[in-house]
Amino acid sequence: MTRTFRNVVLALIVVIWVLPFIALVTTSLRSETASKTSGFWTAFTPTELGHRFGTHDKGKTEPFVTMSGNIFERLNHDRESYEVAGDVTSILFKGRLPDPDKPGKTKLIRKLIFAGEVMDVRGGEFVFQSSGDFTWTFPEATAPKPKNLDAFINQSPVFGTDAYIEVLFENKNVPNALISSFIVTIPATIIPITIAAFAAYAFAWMRFPGRDWLFVIVVSLMVVPTQLAFLPVLQGFSGIASWATSLNAWMTDCEITKTCQVASKSFASLWVTHTAFGLPLAIYLLRNYIVGLPKELLESARIDGASHLKIFTRLIIPLSVPALASFSIFQFLWVWNDLIVALYIGPADAADLVFPIRLQKQLGTFKDQLHLLNASAVISMIVPVIVFLSMQRYFVRGLLAGSVKGG
Amino acid sequence: MKSYLGTAASVLAAATLFAGPSFADVCDTPTKLGDLGKFEGEVITIMGSMEGKDEEMLTNTASCFEAATGAVVKYSGSRDFAALIVADLRSNNSPNIAIFPQPGLAGDMAKEGHLVPLGQESADWMAENYGAGPSWVALGTYADKDGKEDFYGFAYKMDLKSLVWYSPEQFEDNGYEIPTTMEGLIALSDQMVEDGNTPWCIGVESGNATGWTATDWMEDLMLRTTTPENYDRWVSNDLPFNSPEVLKAMEVYGQFSRNDDYVAGGASSVATTFFGDAPKGLFSSPASCLMHRQASFIPAFFPNKGEEVANGEADFFYFPPYEAADLGNPVLGAGTLWTMTKDSPATRAFFEYMKEASAHEAWMAQGTFLTAHKGADLSAYATPALRKQGEILSNATTFRFDASDLMPGAIGAGAFWSEMTAFANGQDAKTTADNIQSAWDAIK
Repeated sequence: MTRTFRNVVLALIVVIWVLPFIALVTTSLRSETASKTSGFWTAFTPTELGHRFGTHDKGKTEPFVTMSGNIFERLNHDRESYEVAGDVTSILFKGRLPDPDKPGKTKLIRKLIFAGEVMDVRGGEFVFQSSGDFTWTFPEATAPKPKNLDAFINQSPVFGTDAYIEVLFENKNVPNALISSFIVTIPATIIPITIAAFAAYAFAWMRFPGRDWLFVIVVSLMVVPTQLAFLPVLQGFSGIASWATSLNAWMTDCEITKTCQVASKSFASLWVTHTAFGLPLAIYLLRNYIVGLPKELLESARIDGASHLKIFTRLIIPLSVPALASFSIFQFLWVWNDLIVALYIGPADAADLVFPIRLQKQLGTFKDQLHLLNASAVISMIVPVIVFLSMQRYFVRGLLAGSVKGG
Repeated sequence: MKSYLGTAASVLAAATLFAGPSFADVCDTPTKLGDLGKFEGEVITIMGSMEGKDEEMLTNTASCFEAATGAVVKYSGSRDFAALIVADLRSNNSPNIAIFPQPGLAGDMAKEGHLVPLGQESADWMAENYGAGPSWVALGTYADKDGKEDFYGFAYKMDLKSLVWYSPEQFEDNGYEIPTTMEGLIALSDQMVEDGNTPWCIGVESGNATGWTATDWMEDLMLRTTTPENYDRWVSNDLPFNSPEVLKAMEVYGQFSRNDDYVAGGASSVATTFFGDAPKGLFSSPASCLMHRQASFIPAFFPNKGEEVANGEADFFYFPPYEAADLGNPVLGAGTLWTMTKDSPATRAFFEYMKEASAHEAWMAQGTFLTAHKGADLSAYATPALRKQGEILSNATTFRFDASDLMPGAIGAGAFWSEMTAFANGQDAKTTADNIQSAWDAIK
């Protein structure tokens, strides 16, 4: 009884968590119009949707008595994918017809016409079947202007990978963004973890004056929000960049305004910023883990004459893999998903934009390319998912690292 | 360089379907540009808020300058421009050129001393060569740290706001005629309601700028219900926000936007409909509305990104004035302001380039670009639609800038927006106007 209840609750939670992902993937596989006009849950069953079609092409002027055609052919002739198929249920007819009550006047008619019924279009009889076949018959040969009609079609589900093809191959934005994101993320994960591992060892096992106070300061730095520091950080980088520019000019003899300008917003600025803001948590996490390693092990290593460096590389690093891995996941995900630091401090060239900025731009252009945005978002999720899954066995152990330490 | 231009031209040839000097003609003959100097390899960085298609067209236009001078123009656009440019300017990371979509922020930056004056010569040039020139100069003139006024903002790329978009086919099906007076427009709206149609699509949602569409309506109606002099006094708050003239315009706007029969989705949907989604109702199947009042840039938000205008599925007419009011043909518009944020000889040459008629024609030929440059060849406009907008601009008896852009930031990009959104949500006109006025009193 309780077990069934528990399973139901569990299943419910899983559904709630997975639903947005399903919505994202479904929308990314739907056509632009479909995703704009109806919810993703309607994608799996036949849905009645309005479609506008023209009876024939503009400029086709040969007179005819009877024209026959097919609504689906008309709808699909300029589509390469997401072809419309299903049953035509009705056509909304709109037009002015002579008013029976007031002779000489016209009246606006808005009326749903169903399959098989006769409809007066530009003086001809228009009849359609639910298969989409239609005939348009005039009393004598005429060349009417094309007429656009609103057809309600009970549409069969249709999916396609157009959005993926567009973001991946047609414009190089997503591949470029992927590369830029890796250029930013990998060093921004490796650098802080390397520094933090050394620092954590020092805080845990080396004795020097002011150690505890220094550690308290490092820990308290965790609460400094990145946003607060943008302006001073940018000013710093701009100072370094102008110094580097003059150094470059002095060494290579180039002219300042031209080639030797060193950019103050670059990938390197992002590495430094992410490292700086990632370090306090990294040091804290690793120090608490390392301090919990068996004291006897380290003491015997010391008695055997091992130096600090040797202890660190031979003992501490292999033993700390779970903590290192779990922090890498944290830092990787944080940097991968970071928008604001990259926006303010990262390079602004279109080819160098990281994934979150690219996603924002994809939404920002017309705020309506939901299908492209969703396809890109799915692609951007794949990388963190791979990282997480491949390292998750360390993750839980690493998370517990600080909490269950003995001393 | 030649082959690069060739590709740019062929890409554009696909977009430019209409006659008139094409982008390639304008761009391929650098001699037309006069002598701008040579800046081989020098980089000019530009920051702005234009993204997507506008960004493409900006880069194409700049490529003419690159071809003529050898300089390299690097543009970065972000919709967070307003936040980013402030951080960049204050932290000494200025680009060479910053394109401000609103004069308010440009004025603030000038006051902090981050902008480089363009010089009296440029101001005189603009006064002489732009239609309504002195007003454009005034729009780009701000006070610096010491209160000294200088010309900073070069208006380039303008928008026309007094337009009503519609689908000619829907009008034909329903047998409607294009109204030439406001009385006629209201009668047509009533006729549509009577016929079972919905006349208007209105949406004012726009993220943290929600409400600006409503302020445009208000400004257009101010120009149609009261004199241009009163409009100017309203902008400077000599005419208080809660004065009868302003209240009247707001009430007229309410007659349109707060009328459940008039607005697709009902009056309550106005505040929550994204402004870019609102015009899509014209093209939905069946159409959810028949008219949409919005500026010249809006075709970019149509389902086929503006192709509708080229193939006749969409057209526009001038948002007409009241016949009874006798105020002429007022037109509301706006423009982006290009400012120099870091001086360099190449940057100065770029500002010289923007004075050339061909710099305007190069963008005109690509689309969604209007200019007040008197020397620019009107036949360069990419589409008949743009040419028609150019004519509306020249037929105007009164031209006024977007008031919310001219008001102080806290009002024009703050209280005016948010209170108009509250108005859309049902707050009455008097309270709305009183609230904006007290916000204005607070910053005086």
